[in-house]
Amino acid sequence: MSFDTATWIQVATFSAGGLAMGFGAIGAALGEGYTAGLANEGLSSRPEKSGDIFKNMLVGQAIAESAAIFALVVAVLLLFLDPGAPYLLKASAVLAAGLSMGFGAIGSGVGAGFPAGQACLGIARQPAVSGTLTTNMLIGSAVCQTPAIFAMVVALLLMFTDFSSMPLAPTWAALLGAGLSTGLAAIGSGAGGGLAAGASCEGIARQPVSVGNVTTTMLVGQAVSQTPAIFGLLISFILIFSAFPESAALSAAMAPLGAGICMGFGGIGPGLGNGLTAEQAVRWVARNLENTGGLTRTMLVGQAVSQSTAIYAMVVSLVLIFVI
Amino acid sequence: MEELGKIHQLVVTAFGYELRFNLEVISWTWIVIICLLIFGYIAKRNRSIVPGIFQNIGELFIEQFYGLTEDALDKRLARKYAPLICALFMFLLFCNILGIFPHLGEPTSDLNTTLSMGIMGFVIAHYVGIREKGFKAYIKAYFQPIFFMMPLNVIGELSKVISISFRLFGNIMGGDIIVLVVSYLTLSLVLPPFLIGFFFIFIGAIQAFVFTMLTLVYISVQVK
Amino acid sequence: MAIEGAELVKAASLLGAGLAMGLGAIGPGVGEGLVGSKACEAIGKNPGEAGLLTRTMLVGQAVSESTGIYSLVVALLLLFVV
Repeated sequence: MSFDTATWIQVATFSAGGLAMGFGAIGAALGEGYTAGLANEGLSSRPEKSGDIFKNMLVGQAIAESAAIFALVVAVLLLFLDPGAPYLLKASAVLAAGLSMGFGAIGSGVGAGFPAGQACLGIARQPAVSGTLTTNMLIGSAVCQTPAIFAMVVALLLMFTDFSSMPLAPTWAALLGAGLSTGLAAIGSGAGGGLAAGASCEGIARQPVSVGNVTTTMLVGQAVSQTPAIFGLLISFILIFSAFPESAALSAAMAPLGAGICMGFGGIGPGLGNGLTAEQAVRWVARNLENTGGLTRTMLVGQAVSQSTAIYAMVVSLVLIFVI
Repeated sequence: MEELGKIHQLVVTAFGYELRFNLEVISWTWIVIICLLIFGYIAKRNRSIVPGIFQNIGELFIEQFYGLTEDALDKRLARKYAPLICALFMFLLFCNILGIFPHLGEPTSDLNTTLSMGIMGFVIAHYVGIREKGFKAYIKAYFQPIFFMMPLNVIGELSKVISISFRLFGNIMGGDIIVLVVSYLTLSLVLPPFLIGFFFIFIGAIQAFVFTMLTLVYISVQVK
Repeated sequence: MAIEGAELVKAASLLGAGLAMGLGAIGPGVGEGLVGSKACEAIGKNPGEAGLLTRTMLVGQAVSESTGIYSLVVALLLLFVV
């Protein structure tokens, strides 16, 4: 049983669209559920502020949703993609695009739920600072979206770059690896950035005077938590844009695919771990304002050390791409 | 997108070996060094009780990093190693934000720069360790907790160099590539200046600080 | 397309190296993050002991990183020795 190239491309685009939306919905749903749960908790403790809490919950959920909306955009684009002149590599490219966007939306969706939920709870605890809390929530969850945006950039590049001059044999694996690298690495960083943002909303509600220090510490912690996602993006771009010589050997294909998988999975843990560290640092900056410097320093050192496994993964990926 | 990964190299053959020089990176590094020297000269020229702007900036750097070094090591060692730590931070900071100027790039987006900085920190940390603890105690630390953990301790020690230098390289290079690709996708409209501000200045400053702190921590681990 | 045994082994070792390092990085990454988070918590509660706590954190992280280093060693063995 054999199909022509155009059929294979259609099979790939439709499955990629399904994967992008299916995986992409996981995170946002979890994040929004968490937000709604905490909003209800806040409502039960202070029913007279229901209007404020409800408004904040909707705004927070709208941001948590944006990761899923990116996935929807990519899925719809995939469904109505005009394949042009069919070549087999396109099938691999669109499949990789779907995987990248689908996995990439998970972390950011979950992550954006934390600040939104904690902000709802914070408004119930400290209604006077609801404006500050909403602003801080918006900043924090906007930064959480960065890994999802990285995934979308990679997905769009994979969909719209013309690969027709590339040799099929090792490039199909390189493109799949590129999609997996950014997509998987975005999971940890997105969720980790959200943990830090959630702690900052909680801290501001507890001690409103701390807002300046808490927001700064949150941003620094989130920026370091994004590093594994940046490494994933770096490996993706190298895989997409470096020209692999044509080779029918299986090992020539497994090297770039392995590189992508390595960086993708390797980014999950450190991203999440960095987020955990940032969460506690931000929480204690809010409670212990005069010790901000010491806490930020320890947070940075702790995060840097826990990142080292992501860096080993990057080194192994680079070896797989360039040395083997 | 063709500019990705293109480097100007000067290839010199000497004694049967090919020596390759990345000319652009070397010139950028020298720009940073000359800027730092000029900055140091201006900051030091008219020293007074009421500091001028450059003296103020210089004092800010020195006070901060002197305090950090004293916290991590002790008073005696801090007098010796604080200048190194402070200079390392200023060098890396200037390197990381050099890319905001047109036609210039970051020397730290070349692995050679970051790896040499990492190896420098490694050598200094071990030199300080041998000097302060004595050779015997230094060697003994590798056989902790049991003697056959030695190879893993050595690999763990070497992997610190890899992780510290690849972290800086990956962040700066990743920022470069993201700015390049987003400019290409959006036809350089609106977004790239903000991305440049975020990646080159904010991430650049954080990563310079992280690199410096880790070098300091590696030294202090060897001393303790 | 017939795949020879040696070729299959080479391909499997390359993919295996990627999987070893990739999956092996998850645990230490989260674990070291937990150590860092508890250290931050402890410094928040007791800022006077910041130096001791940071040193303890570094030792704890170094130990929990050893599984990550094992993964790295295995990945490099798969790449260069097998």
